[in-house]
Amino acid sequence: MMKRLFLLVCLIVFYGVITVPASRYLLDRPVALKLGYTPSSEAIKLVVGDQKLLLAESLVIKVLFYFGSLVEKSMNRVDIPPEYYGMFKTLKTAVMLDPYNQDAYYFAQAAFTWEVGHAEDVNKMLIYGMEYRDWDMLLPFFVGFNAAYFLKDYEMAAIYTRRAAEISGSDLLTNLTARYFYEANHDQMGIAFLKQREENTKDQGMKSLYRLRRESLEAAQALQRSLERFVEKFGHQPEKIDRLVEEGMISHLPDDPYGGEFYLDSHGKVRSTSNFSFTRGADAVQDGQ
Amino acid sequence: MVHTLFVARLTLNALGRDRVLHTLLGVSLVLLCLVPAFSLFSMRQVQELAVTLVLSCHALLLIFLAIFLGSSTLWRDLERRHTSLILGLPLSRSHYLLGRFFGVGLFLLLFSLCYALLAVIAVSVSATFYEADRPVIWMNLLAALGGDLLKAWLLAAVAFLFSTFSTSLFLPLFGTLAIYSAGSASQEVYEYLNSDFSSQISAGVRWLAEIFYWILPNLTLFDLKTQAVYSLPLDIPALIYPFIYGFVYTSLVLWGAEFFLSRRDLV
Amino acid sequence: MNAIEATGLKKVFRGKKMQRVEALKEVTFSLSKGEVFGFLGPNGAGKSTTIKVLTGQIRASSGEAFLWGQPVSHPSSRQNLGYLPENPSFPDTLTASDYLRFVGKVFSLPQGELQGKITSVLSRLELDTTMKRPIRGFSKGMVQRLGLAQALLADPDLLILDEPMSGLDPLGRALVKDLISELRQKGKTIFFSTHITADVEQVCDRVGIIVGGRLQCVEPVEELLQEGLSGYRIYYRKDGTMCELPAAREDFPREMETLLSQGIEVDRVEPQRRDLETFFLETVERARYEN
Repeated sequence: MMKRLFLLVCLIVFYGVITVPASRYLLDRPVALKLGYTPSSEAIKLVVGDQKLLLAESLVIKVLFYFGSLVEKSMNRVDIPPEYYGMFKTLKTAVMLDPYNQDAYYFAQAAFTWEVGHAEDVNKMLIYGMEYRDWDMLLPFFVGFNAAYFLKDYEMAAIYTRRAAEISGSDLLTNLTARYFYEANHDQMGIAFLKQREENTKDQGMKSLYRLRRESLEAAQALQRSLERFVEKFGHQPEKIDRLVEEGMISHLPDDPYGGEFYLDSHGKVRSTSNFSFTRGADAVQDGQ
Repeated sequence: MVHTLFVARLTLNALGRDRVLHTLLGVSLVLLCLVPAFSLFSMRQVQELAVTLVLSCHALLLIFLAIFLGSSTLWRDLERRHTSLILGLPLSRSHYLLGRFFGVGLFLLLFSLCYALLAVIAVSVSATFYEADRPVIWMNLLAALGGDLLKAWLLAAVAFLFSTFSTSLFLPLFGTLAIYSAGSASQEVYEYLNSDFSSQISAGVRWLAEIFYWILPNLTLFDLKTQAVYSLPLDIPALIYPFIYGFVYTSLVLWGAEFFLSRRDLV
Repeated sequence: MNAIEATGLKKVFRGKKMQRVEALKEVTFSLSKGEVFGFLGPNGAGKSTTIKVLTGQIRASSGEAFLWGQPVSHPSSRQNLGYLPENPSFPDTLTASDYLRFVGKVFSLPQGELQGKITSVLSRLELDTTMKRPIRGFSKGMVQRLGLAQALLADPDLLILDEPMSGLDPLGRALVKDLISELRQKGKTIFFSTHITADVEQVCDRVGIIVGGRLQCVEPVEELLQEGLSGYRIYYRKDGTMCELPAAREDFPREMETLLSQGIEVDRVEPQRRDLETFFLETVERARYEN
């Protein structure tokens, strides 16, 4: 009896000794590993039977969750290489399994346009989704916005914005946005869109994503305006961005919510070392050239 | 201890003659033969898909076998009163239990070994169809198969534990299934609860989830599929942790099984 | 050292709704080496429970039991025991020889002798032709005989047999009775339970009767039969016809004398005894009445 009890105590101690570091190890795994690998949707469809919707939903939640942890870590200034490709692919698989999955489309719009510059791919996904979610005015609205803002394809933007207006009846907002697409300058368009999404999204993760993006755009826009005022006043570009503060064009240099620092590139455009993305490292250097 | 081996051998002997298992082995053979064909469904990831299919198939079959054999072995002995014959011999209950468990474990190991051999062939064939960015790292594939085997052993032990105190087959069968799903999800739930996203969840629920997290087997640890599919580097902890964790957890569960079995009246 | 030593065995089962079922109430007996003990009792009297306690499958609620001086809770108490459970059931995908090989190994029989022992015990029980067949295909009688074979394999000095005759045809019963007599001659100790009194009468030294979880009596069979003698029946021929005359035990010499003095030819004399069955039924009746 004593021997057995001793064995039990030993085993429990061993369990404690192994399980805590093992749990720590799992927590610290790279996101790519946590996200895992999803086989192509055609193959999944063959084996998953009548549980397609469940699987699709779990894939979307997985992506949402890991993207969330990514944003959180970035805010805490923890550098991690995000696995955008894997996440986007997982989402694509999810909508192939369940073309009605709202989360997948909305999240794709929120995460993969600004961050990764996948606007074209996102639009393809959204247009695919429109076939199914034909009552959803937001999908054509997103496509229209992406076409105007990222792809500068105003014709396409007009077509899809009209479609969004048709679906929503006579939505003032849609018309307003459509007007923006033609009249407003680029930054204003983006900020208006982000504000609208921020107000209309319930999911906290996505909300913070939109807010972050809006804040960075607003900061950049404020800098851009002060830059324009500088040029107006002195007739030439400032040699350093700090000159804007020195000459009282702006009270202070705003923070980049993405953790970078603002600077002026050779063409006199306001840029940030963060490139307004969680992707620092290789991509950022490339774009900076 | 030598008695344990005798029981293990008897168990293996009986399993080797089981027709249900013969059928299952046949099915897995057919599935493996189909892997190269299925892998063509993917345009650019032929090899990756082949590895995924091989691994998923292996995990599914092993988990099925572990839950089925783990639940039915002791249950059948108790239900059909084989125990009154076997335990009427000068054989202690702990040796009997361990022997039965090792028999099932050995069977799973043999199954896994045969499967691994065929899997290597199936993946090699698939890999010739389309050149992948990264060649298969065979060690990773074997590690992933090994991870699944460790997981299956653990689940078999859980099923054994349930059947030591249950008189019906339902508890071991569905109890183990429940432990399997809970154990597979526990890490994600834990991470979710540790993130800012869960701020609206009440402290009580969080506390409860935390307790479950530390008590339930953490099956995420055994999942090395991603590394195998994408030929990612496998670090030492990824190999060591599942091994030690699996050993300790399985031992603990078997301790519990022995505790209940030694107190059970074999009526 | 006694082969079996049981003192004050009690067993209480807890059924559904926490009701208590007293399966054994104070069972005390012992078996010395070389004895053949018949354990009689109606169905549900506690025969199997007693045997399961003796073979370590059930833990007694109180009291203790020893086999060859070893407590039954310890597996080593069964090192010199052959046990046949009631209606034995084997893992049925195995063959008879597979299972017996396992039994032999557990008893640590030398590897070299094992095959020979298996063959001889199977042929003793007339199972030698079925050695390599899966047990799945065995008839009930064959399974019962295989159960005996596994109990006999290691040639133990003590045998505990729970209903050894059940499920056997007349040929099988004769075989088992023969076997028990043979083992008795070899000096083996045998404890077997049954509800058939004739079996006990023929092969047992002592009989114990259990009713309602209580051991009612333990008696030598010979004495019981002797005590039970009530009188004789005399068959004789008179004028070519067969006549019979019952005579009480004390009247018998006088009756015989009268007949012989008349010059009558006595054909045969049969003792009239209260047999074991009557004794058993009376014991059961009395026990039930007392409760």
